[in-house]
Amino acid sequence: MATTVEDPRVIEVDVRTDEMLVNMGPQHPSTHGVLRLVLRTDGEVVSEVTPHIGYLHRCAEKIGENLTPRQYIPYTDRMDYLAGMNMNLGWALTVEKLLDLRVPEKGRHLRVLIAEMGRIASHLVGMGAYGLDLGTFSPFLYAFREREKILDLFEEACGARLTYSYLTVGGATADLPKGWLEKCEAFLDQFVPVIDEYHTLLTTNTIFIKRTAGIGLLSPEMAIDYGCSGPVLRGSGVDHDLRRDGETIYTSMYDDYNFEIICERDGHYPQDQDYPPVPIETMLGDCWHRFYVRMLEVVQSVGLVRQAMEKYQASEGSHGEPIKLNQKLPPGEVYLETEAPRGQMGFYLVSDGKAIPWRVRVRSSCFSNLSVTPELCRGCLIADVPAVVGSLDVVMGEIDR
Amino acid sequence: MHWPSFFFLLFGGFACLFAVAVVLASNIVRMAFYLVLSLAATSGLFFLAGADFVGAMQLMIYVGGTMVLLVFGVMLTSQSPFVSMRTSSGQMLTALVLGGTLLFVLSFTAFHVPAWQPTHRPAVDPNTPLLTATPIGMALEGYRVDQLDQPDPRIRQGMSGYLFPFIIISVHLLVVLVGAAYLARAKRRST
Amino acid sequence: MDRDVANSLNFLLDKLTGLLGRSVPEDHVAGHLIAAFLYVGLLLHLVAVSALVFIWMERKIAGRIQDRLGPTRVGGKFGWLQTLADGLKLLTKEDLTPTGADLFLFRIAPYVGFCASLGAFIAIPFAGQDFPFVAQHLNVGVFFVLAVMGIEVFSVILAGYASASKWSLFGAMREAAQVVSYEVPLGLCVVVPVMLAGSMDLVHLGDKQQGWFTNWYLLHDPFTFVIFWVYFTCATASVNRAPFDLAEAESELVAGFHTEYSGLRWSFFFMAEYGSMLAVSLLGAILFLGGWHGPVPVASLLGLAWENGPVWGYLGNLLGMVNLLAKAVLLVTVMIWVRWTLPRLRIDQVLTTCLKYCTPIAAAMFLGAATWHMAMPDRVFAGLLQAPEANRLLAEPSATPRLQKGGNL
Repeated sequence: MATTVEDPRVIEVDVRTDEMLVNMGPQHPSTHGVLRLVLRTDGEVVSEVTPHIGYLHRCAEKIGENLTPRQYIPYTDRMDYLAGMNMNLGWALTVEKLLDLRVPEKGRHLRVLIAEMGRIASHLVGMGAYGLDLGTFSPFLYAFREREKILDLFEEACGARLTYSYLTVGGATADLPKGWLEKCEAFLDQFVPVIDEYHTLLTTNTIFIKRTAGIGLLSPEMAIDYGCSGPVLRGSGVDHDLRRDGETIYTSMYDDYNFEIICERDGHYPQDQDYPPVPIETMLGDCWHRFYVRMLEVVQSVGLVRQAMEKYQASEGSHGEPIKLNQKLPPGEVYLETEAPRGQMGFYLVSDGKAIPWRVRVRSSCFSNLSVTPELCRGCLIADVPAVVGSLDVVMGEIDR
Repeated sequence: MHWPSFFFLLFGGFACLFAVAVVLASNIVRMAFYLVLSLAATSGLFFLAGADFVGAMQLMIYVGGTMVLLVFGVMLTSQSPFVSMRTSSGQMLTALVLGGTLLFVLSFTAFHVPAWQPTHRPAVDPNTPLLTATPIGMALEGYRVDQLDQPDPRIRQGMSGYLFPFIIISVHLLVVLVGAAYLARAKRRST
Repeated sequence: MDRDVANSLNFLLDKLTGLLGRSVPEDHVAGHLIAAFLYVGLLLHLVAVSALVFIWMERKIAGRIQDRLGPTRVGGKFGWLQTLADGLKLLTKEDLTPTGADLFLFRIAPYVGFCASLGAFIAIPFAGQDFPFVAQHLNVGVFFVLAVMGIEVFSVILAGYASASKWSLFGAMREAAQVVSYEVPLGLCVVVPVMLAGSMDLVHLGDKQQGWFTNWYLLHDPFTFVIFWVYFTCATASVNRAPFDLAEAESELVAGFHTEYSGLRWSFFFMAEYGSMLAVSLLGAILFLGGWHGPVPVASLLGLAWENGPVWGYLGNLLGMVNLLAKAVLLVTVMIWVRWTLPRLRIDQVLTTCLKYCTPIAAAMFLGAATWHMAMPDRVFAGLLQAPEANRLLAEPSATPRLQKGGNL
């Protein structure tokens, strides 16, 4: 049942009731960290949602103007703390673009391998937490069970489980340890069948479909207008992914890789013959589609990891040595967006020729994605607010920086 | 002391006490709460009299009804979180006179209808329950099991039973509900 | 039952006081009073201990469903005493009352809920036949249980209103809408076994299904089979269990009506919830699953009946009680299983489920069952078997056989 209406002021004029302003967050079980939503409600119907941000602001951009690029790597970890590897990669590539530096072949495959593992881990949280938002607890733990295994692998590679600082300017801080690839292979082998479990528990669950189908409809035009990116954009049927459509320095990383951009084309998703078909009650751009895109992207990432492991083993030489800690940057400005799990993460850097950048700015994907919340939640029910916000899968660390 | 009398006084006292509390309370939710307690004590009286069916009915209908009343009271009157209603002394006086008159009429009737006088029937064995629901069901159909000793066959049959008045009352209730829903509606804005 | 117990107690008292040269007559108040306290104490323990056990079960089952162990340490290998330890922790917590709350209502709300939940057990029999295990044998037992359990919603509304919190108020309003609407299909479901047995007496309802599982009302005909599941759905909804736990929906309303509660008051809400779960499960087991009459009539096969002497009869009743509790615990387990599997419904979907699905299905099944019963009054097990003689001749227990008197009925 679609509860969205054209004019929010005509909802529920039948019975005269008072409007109520309710604070959802910053301490609320379902707002993914410290997001604060102010809801204007009329009974159970939400007529207006205003997101308030800034509770996790840590001056990450300003800090970047006081540290050398390699010193800044740990701070990028803390932006999207659920996908630290991808944040490292985005910053590293930006600085490399300024330095006009190319990592060796082995380092390139290592980066693809790690970045796609990071994407799987991040989407697992997105999926599990979404289940939690809809009131089912078990998928969350199933998701974390698998994520733990990825974190174990990451820990083995770099010593950290959340803030990795692994991929860095010039390559990676260390090569993969011996036997890592076999463990990773074993993980992937047992992970792929597990995805079916998630589909049983959530994707095809009748209640799940009822809760998400037709809720939070985001039209492709609106998604583009608001600057949405990542699964939120592709869930609306816009075929755009920086891994294919980005700048050469980023797309060349994926040069000889086979993968598909997950997005509905002509009413079909790639691979939807392997996975549950799209239920008829869903509409392109609703919460269900955003969730489904994430689920299918995980499968694509598994394929990418497998290819990367092969190529990594086949390639010789160094994985890419990091640049010196205090290496001088050439003067100039550079901006690069990469496809992080939650969307397009852009880093902007202006250098005046010193080792420390003159300006650092970050373009957050979740900030744009979150900005559609008032549009999506207008006229929905209170229970739909967590469903919509959860489907956007925002991480406040990235928004507030 | 006669044990059932003690309980009768207990329940009766509670019913009266909370009824007075309903009148004196100024907060609408507290009023509803006292009303529920008063009605629950009344249902206790029914259980004491062995009228289990009526007692349970009292609980189900009145408690449910009061709850709906409460919800509507909060929803439709609430401007601030806690609604309070003050009663002026004039209103109090009017209510006192009206209530007193009603009480007098009711008790006068109660003491003067011969069929309602206390009887000295032996107490029933509490080990096995009385058939409380069945006679009511039969009476609805037109068989008055309590009138079987009557010599007049028309009275023995219970005349038409209670079905007809029952239906009239339910239709009446339906009308009241429709009316309440109509009154609660605001004018629909033309869009 | 309780008059016998009271008089046995009076007899004992008489013997004891006889040593002092006094005597206690039959039907003395003391015996009745002790009997009443005995019953209340037993029921209180049943509700409290079952809440402890169910919370432990909930954690253990949730743990197993979620690929983890659940409690493992407190009280030995399986964490038996985890709930008790939590209870101790709750006892020591500060009893917070929010500023601006209506303190009187805020404090009394949890107890109202618990009393309602406990009150329902007064009329629930645990074993039947000649001397049923029941605190108060009521002719309208089913009706009484439903009526008393209906009061529980009042505590949620009071708590939600008195907390002076918007989330609590949302929870309370949801609860009111949900419970009021689910009482309709629940009543319709309960009416079917009542119609088949021709009585609202729970003892009679259970005994009408005596013998093998083929006599259970669950398997009486296809309609009752369907209506059992409708009953179970509505019962889950009426006790606020997931996927219908809207009043406390934690991802939406923080904790709903009990957001502002802490410590022991908070735990009373949980005792009430688990008590109600047990009550509706017991009711379902009595109405549809033969009550104390097992799938296999072990008691009567062993000759554990009152005809063979009070000891045998008592043992039979005890076996029946275990049987009934096992069935109820099974139903509670299903509720727990459902909770940890399914996402939560939205308020409009909950009401749609009730009004568009449960109520019409229940009504249609009621008509179907009535027609079936009219066409085949003495058949059981989907009409395949003849109902046993004993079940057909079983009359409603009654003190005043007035109906037979007139003869013109």
